[in-house]
Amino acid sequence: MPELKLLLKHRDEPGIENIETYEKFGGYAGLKKSVTMERQAIIDEIKTSGLRGRGGAGFPTWIKWNGIPKDTAKQHYVLCNADEGEPGTFKDRELMLKLPHMTIEGMIIAGYSIQSQAGYVYIRGEFVESALAVRRAIDQAYKAGYLGKNVCGKAGFDFDIHIHMGAGSYECGEESALMSSLMGERGQPRLKFPHGPLPVIAGVWNSPTLINNVETYACAPHIIANGGAWYAEMGTEKSKGTKIFSVSGHVAKPGNYEIEMGTPVLELLELAGGITGGKLKAIIPGGSSVPILPADKCDGVNLDYESAAAAGTMVGSGGYIAFNDSTDIVLLMRRTSEFYAHESCGKCTPCREGTRWIFKIYDRIVSGGGLPSDIDLLLNICDQIDGRSFCALGDAAAWPVRASIKHYRHEYEYWIKHGKSPVGDHCVPPVPQVLNPLLTLTLA
Amino acid sequence: MPDVELVNIKIDGKDLQVPKGEKIIESAKRIGVEVPFFCYHPRLSMEEGGANCRMCLVEVAAKGPDGTVRKMPKPQTACSLPASEGMEIVTESEPLANDRRGVLEFLLINHPLDCPICDRGGECPLQNNALHYGPPTTRFIEEKRHFPKAFPLSEYVVFDRERCIHCARCTRFTTDISGDAQLNFLKRGADMEVGTFEQTDFHSKFSGNVIELCPVGALLSRAYRFKARPWDLVTQRSICTQCSNGCNIKIDSRTSKLQRVNARLNEDVNEEWTCDKGKFGMDYVSADDRLTQPMIRKEGKLVPATWSEANALIVQQLRAAGKLVGGIGGARSSNEDLFAWQRLFRETLGVNNLDHRMGPNFPAANAGLYQRFGYHTMGNSIAELERMKSILVIGSDLVDEQPMIFLRVRKAWRRHGASVVEANPKSMDDAESPNRVGEFASVSLKYRPGTEVALLCALINVMVGEKLLPDSSAALRPAKAMVDSWAPGEAAKECGLAADVIHRAARLLATRDMAIVAGRTITDHPHAEQLLDALGNLAVITGNPGNFNVPVTANNQQGAMDMGILPDLLPGYAPAEAPGMNSQQMLEAASHGGLQVLWVVGSDLVNEFHDPALARRALQNCPFVIVNALTLPETAALADVVLPVHSIAEGDGTVTNVERRVQRYWKAFEISPYIHPGWLVFGEIGAQLTGRPPYASAKEVLREIAATIPIYGNISFKSLGDQGIRWQYPVSDRKPPEMTAIEYKSPVSASLHQN
Repeated sequence: MPELKLLLKHRDEPGIENIETYEKFGGYAGLKKSVTMERQAIIDEIKTSGLRGRGGAGFPTWIKWNGIPKDTAKQHYVLCNADEGEPGTFKDRELMLKLPHMTIEGMIIAGYSIQSQAGYVYIRGEFVESALAVRRAIDQAYKAGYLGKNVCGKAGFDFDIHIHMGAGSYECGEESALMSSLMGERGQPRLKFPHGPLPVIAGVWNSPTLINNVETYACAPHIIANGGAWYAEMGTEKSKGTKIFSVSGHVAKPGNYEIEMGTPVLELLELAGGITGGKLKAIIPGGSSVPILPADKCDGVNLDYESAAAAGTMVGSGGYIAFNDSTDIVLLMRRTSEFYAHESCGKCTPCREGTRWIFKIYDRIVSGGGLPSDIDLLLNICDQIDGRSFCALGDAAAWPVRASIKHYRHEYEYWIKHGKSPVGDHCVPPVPQVLNPLLTLTLA
Repeated sequence: MPDVELVNIKIDGKDLQVPKGEKIIESAKRIGVEVPFFCYHPRLSMEEGGANCRMCLVEVAAKGPDGTVRKMPKPQTACSLPASEGMEIVTESEPLANDRRGVLEFLLINHPLDCPICDRGGECPLQNNALHYGPPTTRFIEEKRHFPKAFPLSEYVVFDRERCIHCARCTRFTTDISGDAQLNFLKRGADMEVGTFEQTDFHSKFSGNVIELCPVGALLSRAYRFKARPWDLVTQRSICTQCSNGCNIKIDSRTSKLQRVNARLNEDVNEEWTCDKGKFGMDYVSADDRLTQPMIRKEGKLVPATWSEANALIVQQLRAAGKLVGGIGGARSSNEDLFAWQRLFRETLGVNNLDHRMGPNFPAANAGLYQRFGYHTMGNSIAELERMKSILVIGSDLVDEQPMIFLRVRKAWRRHGASVVEANPKSMDDAESPNRVGEFASVSLKYRPGTEVALLCALINVMVGEKLLPDSSAALRPAKAMVDSWAPGEAAKECGLAADVIHRAARLLATRDMAIVAGRTITDHPHAEQLLDALGNLAVITGNPGNFNVPVTANNQQGAMDMGILPDLLPGYAPAEAPGMNSQQMLEAASHGGLQVLWVVGSDLVNEFHDPALARRALQNCPFVIVNALTLPETAALADVVLPVHSIAEGDGTVTNVERRVQRYWKAFEISPYIHPGWLVFGEIGAQLTGRPPYASAKEVLREIAATIPIYGNISFKSLGDQGIRWQYPVSDRKPPEMTAIEYKSPVSASLHQN
C-alpha cells in the first residue's frame, strides 16, 4: 500500500498555514457544513467513521463526544492535547506548524457539537514555532468569522480558542495531568474513573471536558465534509482511516508519513527509504513507550490497533523508530529508562522509585558492574510497577524494558559477563563511574 | 443523617451494605478488615493528591453496564475507590501480597532506615507495615538519596528529607485544612521533595499537625526531637489551656516532665487537630522555675515557707479583714478550684467581690445577650458552624482568638460550600498572617473603626430594600428608623467602603442558617452593648436567633462564668442579692487602701489587666496580697503570700470550653507533693476559718457542683467520659427575640469636629 494522504495531502503547498490557501484546498468546508447540521448528527458521523483517538490509547472518539452532557448547566470545554512528548513522535508538531487550521477547524466542530464556548490548546512548551503558527491561525480564524461571536454566521454559537503553553513535563501529556497543569496546579495526574468522575462529566474546573489529540481533531473536518461512511472505507475492520507515523531512526528519509490503517510494518519502512547503515534489527512502532518489535517478528504485523496488539506491541502515538544492527539494545533501554526516570512526576511510589531504580541498574550494567541477577531484578521491578502506578507513565516505563529482555536477553547477558557492548564499542556513551562501596562488596 | 443510598458489596466473601460512594478502605473497617496504607487520611481530600502511596491496592470486580460482575484487570486503591452496587473486593491474596511487598520495597530503597535514632521509631506506620507486609531484605545495591538531615522548616518543625515517603499528607493538610498552602512538592520524580516556595519559613498557625500526620519520621518537632522513645512516654488525656476552644490533647510525659503534646480526637471540638499555641505552648507545666513551696514576704523579701505557716498567715489576715476582701482571676483555673474559691468567699467570708474579667468592659455577664437570646456567649456549637450556609465573622482575628472555630469556618466554606463574609476594622492588620478568614471570604468588609453599627444597619437596609427576606416589615419596626437612615451609599461613605461590597455581603447573609461570630474587637469596644444589639438585629431579621456567637477567649472563662466568679451572679447564673465589686472596682478600691486582702488566682494581673498601672498601684497599696501561681510572674513578685498550685497536668478536674462543653482532664504526673490543687488551698483555709472539713478530692467538689448548679446537674467524672458534655440552658417559654432600637454615635463626625 502506498501513502494515503488525507490530513497531509496539502502539507507541502506553500502558504498552506495561511487561511486563504487552506480554504482554497477545501478548508473550513467541514465546519461550514457542520453548523448546518444537528449537533447529534455530527457525533453520529464521527461514530460512523470509527475514528479512534490518535494520541496513543485508541479510544473510540465518538464515545467521548457523546458523553458530554446534553444540557449546558455548566460550561463545556474543548481541550486539544498538543503536549506531544512521546519520544519518536513528531506528527502533531508538523500538523500545527503546517496545517494549524485543520486542528482548529476540528476543535470548532467539536465545540459546536458539544455546545461549548471555549477551547484550549495545550501546546508542549518546546514547540514555540508550532505555537506561533497556531496563534497566527487562530487570529486569522477570528478575522474570517470562524471564531468569536456567531461562528460562521450561526446565531448563538460563540467559540473562543486559547493557547496554553506547557512547561516541559512529559507527564502533562497525560490527560488528567494536562488538566491539572491547565488549571495552574502541579502537573500530576488526577483520580480517574471509577475513582473520580470522567472528564466528560467533571474535567477542568469541574466542568464537562472533551479532550482529544491534535490529529484526532484534524480528522474531524474531513469526516464531516465527506461523511463518516467515506472515512470508514479506509483502514481495517476495527481501525479505520489513516494514521500519521513519525518515522525516525536508521532510515534514509525520516519524516511524517500518512498511511492507511493496516499497512504492514515493513512497508512503512520502505516508504521511508529503507534501513541505512546495516540490516534492520528492530522497530519500535508507536513511540518509546511501546514494546520493541525485533526484525524477525515484523513479518505479517500490520499497523493497526489489533494487529499490533497481537504481535505484542502497540500503534501508540505513531512514533515509528527503526534500528539497524549496530544498535545496542541495552544502551537503547538505558537511554529510554533515563527518560522515564527523568519524567516521572513523583506522585506515586512505584513510578517515582521504580523508574529511577531501573535507570540506576542500567547505569551499573553499562559501567561494567552488572550482576547475573540483574535481569530478573529488572523484570521483577517492571512487574511491581506495571499496573500498580497511578497513571500509565509507570506502565510505559516498564513495557519497553520487559520486551527488550524478552527479545534480547542474550545482549544483557553479554554486557553482564563481559562488561562491554555485544555490537562493538563505538556506541557507548560516557556513563558515571560506580563508586558505591556497597556494590564493590557485593561484587567481591 | 439524610437519606443515604445503600449498596450491597462483598469484601473477602462477606456481604455487607454500605453507603453508596463510601471509600472501600472505610467499608472494610466495618467488618474488621484492615487494608494497609500510608497516604490515606479520611480528613484530607483525595482530589488534592491522594491515592499516591499505592499501599492499599485491592482486587476488585465491579458490575459493568451490562450487569455482569467482571474483575478489573489491575488492582485498585481501596482508599479512593467508591463503593458501588455489586462490587466484590478481595483484600488478601498472593498477588496483593506481592504488590504490597513491592510498594514497601520501593519505599524502603531510599529510606535511610535510621530507626534507632528516629523519633518515630516505635510508633511508625512505615515500620509497622514493613513488619507485616514488607520484604525481609533488599535487592537495592545502588546509592540511596542523600540530603542534609534535619532541615529546619520553621521554629517548630524540622524536616528530614531522606525519610520522606512523599505521601503528600502534609502538603494536603496545608491546602485542605489550615489553608496556608505553605508546604508543596518541589521538583519531580525521585528528586521530588517537600518544601516551601522560595525556602521561606513554614509559618502556619497549625504547623504542628503535620508532625502527627507524617507517617514516617520526616517531619519532626524541634522541641521533642531526641527527647524520648515513644515506649518510654506515659500518655494521659488532657485539655489544652491556651485558649477557650478546649482542644482535647494527649500529654506525653517522661520522668514527670512534659515531652510533647498530641491531639486527641474529639469530633465536636478539635476533630484531630491542634494549633501551634497548644502543641508547642504547653511546656509551661514543666517549666524549670515552677514553685514547689509557698513563699511568704518577710522583711520585704519573698522567702520559702511551709503550707501551715502560709495558711496560718492567710487565716489571720482574712479574720482581720472582715468584708474588705477581693478576689480577681480564675479564667484559667478548673471548675473545681473556682467553685471552692467562690464558696470560701461567699459562704465563709460573706463577700461577693469576685471577678475573672480583665476588662476593659464589665457588662453584667453579657446580660443583654442573655436577656434577648437566652444564652450568654455562643448560640451554636463549634461543630454546628460547619453546616451553616453563610457565616459573618466580625471584628475578630479569628485564627488567633478561636483557632478551632477558624478551622470550622474554613471547613464550612471548603467542604460544604458556605459563603463567608469577613468584616474587620481597617486597623486590624492581619495581612501577613498565613491563616486568614479574608483568604477565603467571599466578601471582605474593611470598615473604618467605630462604624460597625452603620455597617450593620446598611446590611439590613439592603436586605429589606432588595426584598431578600420574607416579609419583615412588622419585625423591623423598632429599628426601622435607624435602618432607613443607613442606605448603603451613606454607610459606604461612613465606613470607608465601596457600596457594592455592602450589597454583595447583604445578599450572602440574607439567609436561614447564617451564623455570626463576633470577636474581641466587638466585645472590647467602648460601645460593645450597642454593637451586640446591632448584631443581634441582624441575627433576628434573618431568622437566625440561635446562630449568634460571642465566644469567650480565656481557657476556662466560660467555666468561671458558670461557677459564678462574677460579682453579680452566683454559680449557675443565679443573681446575687448584694452584688460585689468587679475587677475594676476592686483594684480601684485596693489602690486607695479600700481592700485589706486581695486574692489573685492564676492570673498575672500586672500584664493581663487592661490598665496595668492601676493593677500595679492596687497590688502595691493593698496591705495583704495572696497569689496562686505556677511560677513567680510579676504579679506574684508583688504579693505577700504566693501559693504553688497544680497546673492542668498535675491534677484531675474539669474545664468548660467556649461552646459550654464541660471536659475532663486527668492527672498526668506529679512535680512535687508540696504543690497543691486550688480546691484544696481554698478548702483548707475554709476549714481553718469554720472547722468544716476540706474537700478530699476534685471528684467530691464536682459532686457538690452538680448538686448546687442545676445546669451541671448531670455532670460527673463518669458521665463526662473523655469527650465531655455540652451543658444546656433549661427549656423556657421565653418569647422569641425581637429587633431593638440602637444608638449610634458616628466616630467620623466626631473626628471632623475635632479637626
